[in-house]
Amino acid sequence: MVHQTILRTGIAGTLLTLAACSGGGGGSTTTPTPTPTPTPTPTPTPVVVTGDVIRLAKQASFGPTMTLATRIATVGTTAWIDEQLAATGSSYADLASRAVARNFCTLMASAMQAVCNRDYMSSFPVAYAFYAHAATGNDQLRQRVAFALSQILVASDFEVHSTAGTATLNQLFLDNAFGNYRTLLRAVTLNAYMGAYLNLADSTKSAPNENYARELMQLFSTGVDALNADGSVRTDASGAALPVFTAADVHDIARALTGWTYARLAGAAANDGNALDYSQPMVTIAGNYDTGVKTFLGTTVAAGASQTTSLDAVIDAVFNNASTAPYVSKFLIQQLVLSNPSPAYVGRVSAVFANDGAGVRGNLRAVIRAILIDAEARGDAKAGASDGKLKEPVLYMLSLARLMAVTTDGYAFVTRDAAMQQSPFRAPSVFNFYPPDYPLPLGGGLLSPATKLMTASTILARHNFAYDWNFTTPSEWAVQASITGATGTTPNWTEWEAITDANALADRIDLLMLNRTMTAAQRTALLAAINAVTNADPAMQARKRAQTALYVVATAPLFQVDR
Amino acid sequence: MRTPSRRDLLRLSAGTGAAALFGQLGLIDALGVGPARADASSFRAMVGVFLFGGADNWNMIVPTDTRYAAYAAGRGATLALPQASLTPLPGVPFGLHPSLAPLTTAWNEGALAPVFNVGTLSQPLTKAQYQASSANRPLALFSHADQQNEWQGLRMRGVNRDGFMGRTNDREAATTVPDLISLGGNSLILIGARSSPLILPSNGGLLRNGFNATATDAPTTTRQSALTAFADGGTAPTVTGITATSLTGNYGLAVTANAVLTGTTSIVDQYFKNTVTGVALTSDISKQLLRVARMIEARSTLGHSRQTFFASQGGYDTHANQVDAASTTTGTQANLFNDLAQALAAFYAAMKALSLGDNVTLFTMSDFGRTFRVNANAGTDHAWGNNHLVLGGAVKNQALFGAYPDTTLGGVQDTDTNGRWIPTTAIEEYIAPIAAWYGVAAADLPYVFPNYATWTTAPRGLLGLFG
Repeated sequence: MVHQTILRTGIAGTLLTLAACSGGGGGSTTTPTPTPTPTPTPTPTPVVVTGDVIRLAKQASFGPTMTLATRIATVGTTAWIDEQLAATGSSYADLASRAVARNFCTLMASAMQAVCNRDYMSSFPVAYAFYAHAATGNDQLRQRVAFALSQILVASDFEVHSTAGTATLNQLFLDNAFGNYRTLLRAVTLNAYMGAYLNLADSTKSAPNENYARELMQLFSTGVDALNADGSVRTDASGAALPVFTAADVHDIARALTGWTYARLAGAAANDGNALDYSQPMVTIAGNYDTGVKTFLGTTVAAGASQTTSLDAVIDAVFNNASTAPYVSKFLIQQLVLSNPSPAYVGRVSAVFANDGAGVRGNLRAVIRAILIDAEARGDAKAGASDGKLKEPVLYMLSLARLMAVTTDGYAFVTRDAAMQQSPFRAPSVFNFYPPDYPLPLGGGLLSPATKLMTASTILARHNFAYDWNFTTPSEWAVQASITGATGTTPNWTEWEAITDANALADRIDLLMLNRTMTAAQRTALLAAINAVTNADPAMQARKRAQTALYVVATAPLFQVDR
Repeated sequence: MRTPSRRDLLRLSAGTGAAALFGQLGLIDALGVGPARADASSFRAMVGVFLFGGADNWNMIVPTDTRYAAYAAGRGATLALPQASLTPLPGVPFGLHPSLAPLTTAWNEGALAPVFNVGTLSQPLTKAQYQASSANRPLALFSHADQQNEWQGLRMRGVNRDGFMGRTNDREAATTVPDLISLGGNSLILIGARSSPLILPSNGGLLRNGFNATATDAPTTTRQSALTAFADGGTAPTVTGITATSLTGNYGLAVTANAVLTGTTSIVDQYFKNTVTGVALTSDISKQLLRVARMIEARSTLGHSRQTFFASQGGYDTHANQVDAASTTTGTQANLFNDLAQALAAFYAAMKALSLGDNVTLFTMSDFGRTFRVNANAGTDHAWGNNHLVLGGAVKNQALFGAYPDTTLGGVQDTDTNGRWIPTTAIEEYIAPIAAWYGVAAADLPYVFPNYATWTTAPRGLLGLFG
């Protein structure tokens, strides 16, 4: 059975003819290549949307759409990855410009303070923008990697409240997503919002604050345990893990990083405690800097060395540490592809981190490319014991919303994410929403980081999100009057309304949501549910059937876990 | 406090058949030969409260005798609590942080047990041994994630993939509704080898929108049938298979739990009020413990003769502004302690109201203690040994446990010069007696506490918390 349907692509606004093959399962959906507007009726060259295409979309975007899948299938995997590595567009620059004094809102009339605090003293505007970009932006891979980086180099609105600060830090992640990890580490170290969060700002030689020094190693670069290049832990004769660093290393790095403070807002005195500018890198305050000799991780900084020399020595020491390549590589694999990568996979990516082929260490563009083109990432549905990655809440919501072709200002997602325990930029601690080594309960040693977030209430929150957004018009979709420029959230059902055949709908759902892993029993049950939905208007019937199918399958473990 | 003895129980039930009696009282279960039972006299619950971030409990409890001078000198004017500000503990030369004043009632009633200088240890450890070799120490000291895992998993020099509450649960009779329950989210401590814990929210109900088990219309019934079909993720112990089991299990448990959490007949809510103002408590830890109390109240309905709870309070990683510049008795830590103490006092009162004061034991845990010495930002950094509290009517009357350290910076108990005290009481010595009181059989203690033998070989031994 072959259906001819018309769908409007989100990217170019062109019309393309879609030939969907359905019934009987298996096989692939074939689509023609997009044709330039307005050329009429070209001879379509069918492209094959394989399960692998959908898997790549799950790994490298915030969720497959037919448009995205068609693009990948059309240009091919590596060409699409390279296309994405070049894509730009998402930005928090407008929010980074909201740097204000700490008492900015308290000076306002009380009736205006709540909105002021939200708009200037919280991460919420950045989260709105994040969801808006993720739902429809073209630079999907850049955003995915930036989101991953925000979960390794964590600073959180849970403790430090600055819209400009959150935006500035996360702009670094967007800008450096395909840059060099050393550049990023150095910029993050001097980022004032991070400086406030991990107390590097105003750390002084008389009593160096060890917070940033420790987490710079433990979480941002080397990890605690010394690692082999394949990510396995190096052990001593007794089998105990060897540490990367000692308390003395922490202390001397803390000393090397003394003497930084906030830049101040224009016109403010250098010691103005209210006028901290979280949008600018920190600046030196020479009197607080420890000029003594410092020794850490096998590096010695001579007495009298400049602050910048000390800073660069610290960054070099952690960046060049042997554990950093496997630590960062494995983290990124777990964020993008699967929770339990083989040591060989980690080793291949880690080797690229160590040397991109042109002698450059820390080239994230090469690292991300290596992660996505690796044989362990590619292929149709995987069914090995160690395969799979539970969708974290942000991916769960966005994957479904993108299937619903939602356009959004992002607000609606922020009303939902806390109940699922993942509000972007508001991790409960520097340890992120979940640790990368969280064990899968009863999983025989498997890891499943995002399972940390699965509780009775979050499981229901996920379910209720899928139900409410398909069967109701939730209040959070409305335009919020208090948000400047708000547009609300609107799904676009046009693509689904065109699929009037039940089998074609089941096919499309199987492809986009489950990369063709739906079982026969599930297909039978889904068709029964689809066919029970009737409406005199064929388009409305198709829409309501799609809503039923999207909801039901969104609850499925086969959708909640990417494989 | 005094608890009913076995003889009391026998006397109470004179005239009934022994088997029926033992079954009724849960004694058969305690002997490992009968089903779980749920009655007040044999019921036991333990409640672990994890203070995430590493609580500076060197300001939780402070010596008031000659040792105060060393305390004040070590902490400095920035951190030291004035002696006059401390909440007295009548009968012992220690006082509590002023924000912990709500715990006075429990102390006076013999239901509060402070434990000094507890921490992760792989072996008894002197400073000389500490300095001699890192092989003598737990792995990754001073690291939040690792020390949390060691506290919860109790493998100090290995990989922790499960926790002592999960392992405790492994050796209990299985229950339909899990009797291992967290109000503090998922944590390693809950992971065992047999079953999954029940993780409940501190706020709100557990409703599954759109689901109607009694619907008869075709769109709804076919949709719900499809939900069942799509709940299949295979049964293999893979991420997908285990997620599938978890999703389905929780949809069902939510219905039961929701009735307990949101029901209107509970008598415990009234105790969760500020001890001074009478206003209902709003902190997250108070909400968690209120729901713990509700689950305990509903133990019979739930079919539980034992319950293990995990709760948590975050925010203790006070690298900066631990205290206000104007006063050491106010600031971030004081606010956290106030929330904690109000919640603990309310919980203790609620347990007494349920006539379970002697049947429920709560204890605190935390990543690590913090440096005795202040840092540049009126805060403290990661350290090691720490003080903790046990709360419940079963603990020994007005007694102190463990040894308060010599708080000389750079002294015989300091790993360096910042006041990172080498623990003198192992976690096992602190928590294993609670597990034994709770009902973990002697033969199972080495399973629950992998390094049990080390801490039960003289001269080491479990703290005599109860009696």
